[in-house]
Amino acid sequence: MTDKTPVTVLTGYLGAGKTTLLNRILTEDHGKRYAVIVNEFGEIGIDNDLVVGADEDVFEMNNGCVCCTVRGDLIRVVGGLMKRQRPGKPAFDAIIVETTGLADPGPVAQTFFVDEDVKAKTQLDSVTALVDAKHVMARLDDSKEAREQVAFADQIILNKVDLATAEELVAVEARLRALNPLAPILRAERAGVDLDKVLGRHGFDLERILEVRPDFVNPPHGAEGHVHDEDCGHDHDHGHDHGHDHHHDHGHGHGPRGHAHQDDIKGVSLSLDRPLDGTKFTAWLDRLLAEKGQDILRAKGIIDVAGEDRRLVFQAVHMILEGDLQRPWGDKERRWSRAVFIGRDLDEAALKAGFESCAA
Amino acid sequence: MKTFTFDAQVTAALFDRIGAVFALGDGAVVFESGERAEAHDGAVLCACVHPSGDGVVTGGDDGKLVWSRRGESVLLATAKGQWIDAVDAASETGLIAFAFGKTLSVIDVADAAFRRDFVHERTVSGVAFEPKGRRVAASTYGGAALWYARIAQQQPTVLKWAGSHTGVGWSPDGAFLITTMQDNQLHGWRLKDQRNMRMGGYPAKIRNMAFLSRGRLLATPGAQGVVLWPFEGSNGPMGREATEIGFDETSLVNLVAAQAKHGRVAAGLNDGRVWVADPSAQGLERVKADKGAPIVALAFDAETTRLAWADEDGQAGIVDL
Repeated sequence: MTDKTPVTVLTGYLGAGKTTLLNRILTEDHGKRYAVIVNEFGEIGIDNDLVVGADEDVFEMNNGCVCCTVRGDLIRVVGGLMKRQRPGKPAFDAIIVETTGLADPGPVAQTFFVDEDVKAKTQLDSVTALVDAKHVMARLDDSKEAREQVAFADQIILNKVDLATAEELVAVEARLRALNPLAPILRAERAGVDLDKVLGRHGFDLERILEVRPDFVNPPHGAEGHVHDEDCGHDHDHGHDHGHDHHHDHGHGHGPRGHAHQDDIKGVSLSLDRPLDGTKFTAWLDRLLAEKGQDILRAKGIIDVAGEDRRLVFQAVHMILEGDLQRPWGDKERRWSRAVFIGRDLDEAALKAGFESCAA
Repeated sequence: MKTFTFDAQVTAALFDRIGAVFALGDGAVVFESGERAEAHDGAVLCACVHPSGDGVVTGGDDGKLVWSRRGESVLLATAKGQWIDAVDAASETGLIAFAFGKTLSVIDVADAAFRRDFVHERTVSGVAFEPKGRRVAASTYGGAALWYARIAQQQPTVLKWAGSHTGVGWSPDGAFLITTMQDNQLHGWRLKDQRNMRMGGYPAKIRNMAFLSRGRLLATPGAQGVVLWPFEGSNGPMGREATEIGFDETSLVNLVAAQAKHGRVAAGLNDGRVWVADPSAQGLERVKADKGAPIVALAFDAETTRLAWADEDGQAGIVDL
């Protein structure tokens, strides 16, 4: 048997730079073999890679789950791509799915959990949103799809940072963080991100849910308290010095949501220092996703269950929930429960009350 | 028993009038006798026996429809570079139908200039000629469309049923059309009055189907045993229950094979085992008892005296029963 082929879903509105990024993936000398599934495109192979056209054939499953919409064309195309696989050898190092500018990422992601064949052969690696620094604020204002793409993402590539001022970038990143506190933001010019960083995120892999840190959402680049980590993605040669003193860029008085940007979508972070009752928590989470799953785009959490030495980890895409007991808590590790829900019109107070009522 | 090891996925196993044929994910067509035709630059996505009974017709991800015989491959048609996902042929009329994207095309082996292109609203997932070879059915999201294969300008008969239909077949008397569905069920229509038949209760995907016993039974995979639906009389399975043979809770049946004229059914399991049974008799004949990778291709010859299979790791075999 062969390892599952990782799949990266690339979202982003028109002009964000998806085509530039895809061209880099297809033409760079990376020694990898990728299949790229694009919209309405004749099938053409470039060197070692394969580009396949798909028609965004979204449909509802007849299984009674109202949000179980999937991409039928992806089931077909992934099945076809897997026919190229040789015994014991994956046909491709990764599959990259490009979505149209207005696409809802939900059905694409759900396809990888709902269809048994696709699930057996592939592993959703990440949903990566591409936005451009100059126009993203206007897109987020006028497009529900643009907000959902950001909120749904495992990582956000903030492209064309050379076209925005430092102040604009601070405001943009603050708003992106409010929409999605989980996704790291990679800054880029001309979609120039390190492909190894973009692919291979394991964004949906329960084993890799190691850190969900709602108390420490890294403030945006240039804001007070920002810590440069591996996800900053800034080129150290693009002209401004990160070495010291980030304090000059902040201080415009707007909160984490920017000036007037009260987005309908936001991330809600929950945490509790006491252990949770496992049965109560599971029942609460099941009920929450059953009732509000259509509005909850993504959720992730690490839970300290009373009487259990291992960490309970979970992640959800709308109503599709995966959870498992993971590795044991470390001896010196702080045992606490934390979860992040990203969705539309979330009632933060109710979520907090519900979460805390699960205390053992 | 003959065995083969391929360094490729096996898309289909078939018997033409001479012997067994395997169509592969590396674009090749390999005959039991050892000849190999490099039919496609890419993977074979679908295959059927040529209407003449000599060789096979394959559709590839290179957008080509190719006829391969022992020692020769010829290009029959192209699909503007799009993947050819489904193909079927009618020996009665010499027609071949194939699907790419939303289009179903029909060509005639006796007339190279003949081609019909029928366009649907959604992507075509499966094609099947009625037994007489004059009409052709295409399954799509939301149902199936029936076309007269030779007529250029026509409105198809559209059979609607909500959901994603992934494959299609006719009963041997042409009275019923059956589709497999994404959500683990079959749907059927009695064509004289378009009455709907829901055939559900499956725990897994139904990857193919086959009629046997002069059309009195429809066999399907998608369960722990082979599911048999009764098709006697004008009501077909309506109001009747399916039976299951060869039930084994440790495995699922991935594929079935049968011939309408004969009473045998073969099952290829997801744990690599293969068995043959006659539903009117007792017991299973274990053709391949060793477990292995899931069976991905399975076919009987016309008389159901020979069976060919292949698994996901490229191991294949042919057995005389």
